[in-house]
Amino acid sequence: MSTERSKRKPFPWVQAAVAAVVVGASIVLGAQIFERQLHPESAGVAPAPRVPGAEFPTDTFAGKDVEQPINYSHKLHAGDLGINCLYCHTYARRSKVAGIPPTAKCMGCHTVVGTDKPEIEKLTQMWQSNQSPAWNKVNDVPDFVHFSHERHLQKFLFDNPEMDIKNAPDVCAMCHGDMNQVGVAKKMKPLTMGFCVRCHESNQGPSDCTRCHK
Amino acid sequence: MSKTKINRRNFLKVLGLGGAGAALAGCDMPSTVTLEEGEEKIYSYLAPEEYVIPGVGVWYASTCLQCPAACGTHGRVREGRVLKLEGNPDSAVNAGKLCQMGQAALQAHFNPDRITAPLINGQPASWDDALALINEKASGGNVAWMTGTVSGHQRVLLDAHLAATGKGHHYAVETVNARAWTDAGKTVLGDAMPTLHLDKAKAVLSLGADLLGTWISPVTFMGQYGKFRAAPRGVLIMVEPAMSLTGANADQWVAAKPGTEAAVALGVGHLLMTKHGLSLNGMPNATSAFQSMTPAQVHEIAGVSEAALNKIADTLVSHSPSLVIANASHAAARIAMVLNIMLGNVGKTLTPGASIAADPLAPMMGSSKDLAEFAQNAAAGKIDAVFISGANPAFVAPQGLDMAAALKAVGFKVAIATCHDETTKACDVVLPLSSALEDWGTHVPAYGGKPGVVHLQQPLMEPLHADTRGLGDILLTLGKSAGVDGLDAFEDYYGYLRTAVSAMIGSELEGDWHRVLQAGQFETRAASRAFSAGHDVALGFSETAVSGLHLVTVARQGLYDGRHANSSWLQEAPDQISKAVWDSWAEIHPKTAASLNLKDGDYVRLTTASGAITTRVFIYKGVHPNAVCVPMGRGHTDYGRWANNGVNPLTIVDAHLGDWQSSEIIATASLVKIDAAGENRHLVRLMDTDQQYGRKLVATIPAQQFGRTQGGA
Repeated sequence: MSTERSKRKPFPWVQAAVAAVVVGASIVLGAQIFERQLHPESAGVAPAPRVPGAEFPTDTFAGKDVEQPINYSHKLHAGDLGINCLYCHTYARRSKVAGIPPTAKCMGCHTVVGTDKPEIEKLTQMWQSNQSPAWNKVNDVPDFVHFSHERHLQKFLFDNPEMDIKNAPDVCAMCHGDMNQVGVAKKMKPLTMGFCVRCHESNQGPSDCTRCHK
Repeated sequence: MSKTKINRRNFLKVLGLGGAGAALAGCDMPSTVTLEEGEEKIYSYLAPEEYVIPGVGVWYASTCLQCPAACGTHGRVREGRVLKLEGNPDSAVNAGKLCQMGQAALQAHFNPDRITAPLINGQPASWDDALALINEKASGGNVAWMTGTVSGHQRVLLDAHLAATGKGHHYAVETVNARAWTDAGKTVLGDAMPTLHLDKAKAVLSLGADLLGTWISPVTFMGQYGKFRAAPRGVLIMVEPAMSLTGANADQWVAAKPGTEAAVALGVGHLLMTKHGLSLNGMPNATSAFQSMTPAQVHEIAGVSEAALNKIADTLVSHSPSLVIANASHAAARIAMVLNIMLGNVGKTLTPGASIAADPLAPMMGSSKDLAEFAQNAAAGKIDAVFISGANPAFVAPQGLDMAAALKAVGFKVAIATCHDETTKACDVVLPLSSALEDWGTHVPAYGGKPGVVHLQQPLMEPLHADTRGLGDILLTLGKSAGVDGLDAFEDYYGYLRTAVSAMIGSELEGDWHRVLQAGQFETRAASRAFSAGHDVALGFSETAVSGLHLVTVARQGLYDGRHANSSWLQEAPDQISKAVWDSWAEIHPKTAASLNLKDGDYVRLTTASGAITTRVFIYKGVHPNAVCVPMGRGHTDYGRWANNGVNPLTIVDAHLGDWQSSEIIATASLVKIDAAGENRHLVRLMDTDQQYGRKLVATIPAQQFGRTQGGA
């Protein structure tokens, strides 16, 4: 057994680098192949809505269908009836989070509208027993990411001279996809760091780590 | 190990490279953290207030109950939960600042070991059953209360309950107290709580009063200390047997033998008279006490050199006005008061205090004398039933008081507590108390507040546990069933408090009540006190601690008297002196350690007349060679999941010694014997070494040079 301590073999940098690249690439490719959820080429055929003065992110994501306590329909409210996103998600322009509208807001209409429908009856029952629906969260970023709805709406909507507030859904669609087509909710954009960074690059958003990772 | 190709260093390199490669390429990789669809619940408000926005915090004002100082707080509430506490900038007590214990009130609130339902003989019960049992067993005879410091309307209701049930007594127990100082103030100047003006003093001499750590109202004093140290820089001198946070900040730190601070103070007075020609008019008793304590005697008694004594006296004279404060003993506190008279500080840096005119609301400050009296009366069978809230007698009582037997001798014991502790275990009925962040209350700060200002405590969030009740609500219920007049009109304590406060501010308008809630305090009539001419009291001290090793138990900001040992934040916060975490230790001077052949981390058995504890040695120059300093607060046996570590030095304090001319339990005068217990284990400390290893992290100068430029030279 050698007792030499000073003589050390040189570190195999080349092999290590190759191994690292292989490991990294195989993880990514594996994810793309097996998860079958990241398919830029499978983007919908419908022309994506455009926000003036901004590069619209094109990535899409095939989210799961998540069961919800009340079968609310974005398609009906936002799509067919044309209610602006910010009417219900009023916190989006004031806070980090867009928030689920308070039940009081739902009941503002639904004490008179559609009271005979089973889903509205469910909602009314919850309202009367002082219960909030336990929605299952669909769009989420990890806790170490600080995303602010307020800041993004400020840039793309309120500080954007060519944008009218009635076109707010176009801004929301940058990260949420076309919510006019879905029921309660579906994740339609990957919301990965790559997705965020590409958009920040093309729209001159801040690129320092600590803006999002605080 | 030499046969393996990959050593630790290369393994880390590969891991780092692979990790970095995966992270760079993986920004687009959907992973467990980005694929959380449907994993979490999200709830909306039902009908929120206009100003409530999810994701945006709203600050509400309340009052901190972590120590008796009653600082004003602001709590940030978001989505219905309180997330952060800060000081209330409008409070004169703490002026927007909050200490670590205050910050940790969040953990006291969210503590997983909270009591959630009433218990009868350890078995869960309903409130109705518990209250019925209380009515049956504690409605007549000698029904006593034991609490910590109480004030405000809780005190009013408590006094009313005591008066209605009969002849019981209210024992206010605080192990960390300022009773020596307040008694001396009352005796010498006729004012128990004079106002100190540290900011106006040019030199401060403290005899064992840890004003930056635990004394009376530390946050108030920290604010004043900042001004005191601003240019021109005031000089701080500390005399104590074991270094405190204040001692660590002092320009001149004087190590006196345990219990001899009074002798040092007399020696300073001697020099002020003989060397500087100061005198005490009309106080022959005091004058003769000072004259008979020569510096040579001080050196013999306290081990303080004549040079150090001269430096203290010179500094006090050259830096006028100065201020002398003391908490080491009743003897030292009295001498400090007389020194202030001699130095002409009275009226300059020591002025009469002021409080509120409504006396029933004034704070009832605790002491250890009440603990001893409770033990004596209980053991003598004089107490039929006792309600205990905000005090843990089974933990803080020295073994000599035999608190277990005393509690057993009380026929019926009710604990009102948020968490189980050594005392709730010994009680027949345990009532689950709301946390301080869920409760209503009014509090009159004992010190530092604006005269006449009452702090309001309001809930910062809905109760975490549905079956807990606030102290005021419990007092109201007990008061009603004891037949206290005028309580039947109130359904809950909120209603009582709101009516009472409305009467005090002279307005029943909704808007005015909201202004009180918003401010966290309200102003009522103040009453200012006046000093009487200095009473010529006898000065002296008991020479019990002149030779031999003595146990010194001290409180440190953090665990305090042990009430915060169930907070992992405060267990984890390094001790201010030893930087140790999560365990007990005994601070021993290097000379003492050398003579006993002890090394850092050696376990030792400390034996006093009252018992023994085993803990490990921390060798430290900041203790007198005659002192063994064991901070209090640890050594719990039944205080939740985080408190079972260390030892409790309070148990082996000699309970019967007593302070000079008082019956307070004094924590620095128990003779102690040290025996090596064999084992040696590393004491976990944040700062593990005193060496900088040549890295110049902090600029240093030799002590001698420091002495020439600082410290009142």
